[in-house]
Amino acid sequence: MNKNDVAIVGIGRTPYSRAKPGERIYTVDEYIAWAADLALKSAGMGKDDFNGQGLGVAHAEAAHTVNWSAATAETLGISPQILLRADQGGASATAMLIRAAAMIRAGVVDRVLVVGADTPLSIPSAAPGLPLSPERTRGTYWDFQGPFGVMGATAQFALVLQRYMHQFPGLRFETLGKIATSNRYHASLHPGAIYRQPMSLDNYMASRMLSDPIRLLDCVPIVNGGLAYIVTSGETARKLTDRPVWLKGFGEANNYYHGKRTLPDITTTGFASSAPAAMQMAGVKHDDIDFFQPYDDYPFISMMTMEDWGFCKKGQGAKFVEERNFRFDGDFPLSTDGGQLSGGQPGGAIGGFMPLVEAVTQLRGEADQRQVKKARIGAVCGFGGIPYGRPGRSCIAIVLGNEG
Amino acid sequence: MIVSNENKPLPVITDQTRPFWTAAKEGRFVMQKCQACGTFNFQPKPWCIECGSRDLEWAPAKPFGVVYSFTVSRSIAMNLAGWQDEMPLVMCLIDLDDGARMYGQLTDVDPETVRVGMRVAVHCESISEEAGIPKFRPHHD
Repeated sequence: MNKNDVAIVGIGRTPYSRAKPGERIYTVDEYIAWAADLALKSAGMGKDDFNGQGLGVAHAEAAHTVNWSAATAETLGISPQILLRADQGGASATAMLIRAAAMIRAGVVDRVLVVGADTPLSIPSAAPGLPLSPERTRGTYWDFQGPFGVMGATAQFALVLQRYMHQFPGLRFETLGKIATSNRYHASLHPGAIYRQPMSLDNYMASRMLSDPIRLLDCVPIVNGGLAYIVTSGETARKLTDRPVWLKGFGEANNYYHGKRTLPDITTTGFASSAPAAMQMAGVKHDDIDFFQPYDDYPFISMMTMEDWGFCKKGQGAKFVEERNFRFDGDFPLSTDGGQLSGGQPGGAIGGFMPLVEAVTQLRGEADQRQVKKARIGAVCGFGGIPYGRPGRSCIAIVLGNEG
Repeated sequence: MIVSNENKPLPVITDQTRPFWTAAKEGRFVMQKCQACGTFNFQPKPWCIECGSRDLEWAPAKPFGVVYSFTVSRSIAMNLAGWQDEMPLVMCLIDLDDGARMYGQLTDVDPETVRVGMRVAVHCESISEEAGIPKFRPHHD
């Protein structure tokens, strides 16, 4: 499958906002147009290049119309032949890359503009200032969580981490702090990151427990913002740029269970299935991967993701984290944009664009101060949705490369 | 989302889930049992997630289990201030003796003494005119 016939040729990431009093508050549509504009400019294209082609829209939590992808086409003044709409949370961006590649390979379209934005700090809801959309809090799924004392993602993920610490004793909080502080270091080198001031391991350890064993500095800062990318056929990519970023391989696992459906082992994610598939399709081994962009909603998820990709054995994540140097110039560059932990999370669904956009930035050699030298192959994760009592409804693994 | 007068989340009760809430209000613990393969499903499902049979019936379940994992929530999330009275709140994943896993609060316990594998028993609390909810407390067989 590694034919270099599908490439990403443009990316956009808007400035993020914490929606502080006095700031101009942009709507989701404005962020979408802003991110699309940045992506089009980086590709040397215009919006009319997508008439008769494809438009992909990631589901946001901010209120929108029922047939939102078509409405977004209307808002942008584009008349696409096909629409993609992903509702896979933090796996939406990578899911649409897979769908777009299939459409391009099938000859249905030549190119797809993929956009996503959200304004979780500006959703009218029962909990002003928090990402609590009406649709997140309705249905049987919610009715059997909220009333039972489940207080959102941090409590849900705390259960996963606690279980991990039980099954694999010896994980120290300092080890998770290494991931958090490494991300902050990279954020200091990314002008668009929301938290750029230095953070020490002591700062991390001193942050208060929110929901044991997850503390404040294990959590992502929520922001408003938007991202976009452009994917085209190989032929078009070669005409547009001398730096296409090729889709080398992908793997996808939805509703993955490790063990029995009724009583699964929640310490292994769907990447155990999707990552080997992506690497096999790409024809790469672990040593070929020059940098790793996980969906870092919590530091321990970055660690579990590295295990499930097979960089080390299950349960050896702590040792791996302690032994490796995650800085852009280290032996295992990790979350080189600062990730969501220090970069900001523009809603869980749109945060999933960040690993992809950063990987393309690295492979185009545009990462400035944080550029990974001689980066050829990058690994990207999409991680979306929180199933009942488990982590990660959708786990998507992507391998990108810049050699043709 | 419905919120109680105490500013805690309440379920939207449907015909599918009413037997669960009514039972808990009356102090009984029931789960959906697949009549084809015997699997207990939780949370409620439209068919059995093991065998796909739609023949699910609410049936009495053994009100015992063990702590599969737990967290101690120390501050309010989602602005539901009603939980403040119960901080720190111990919320668990419980592996029930009948082979299903559920979220549940652990009460009557010092949070520092909670451990994975701890034996627990169901007790029910009323949360509204129509609904009760199962919670757990430590149990010694």
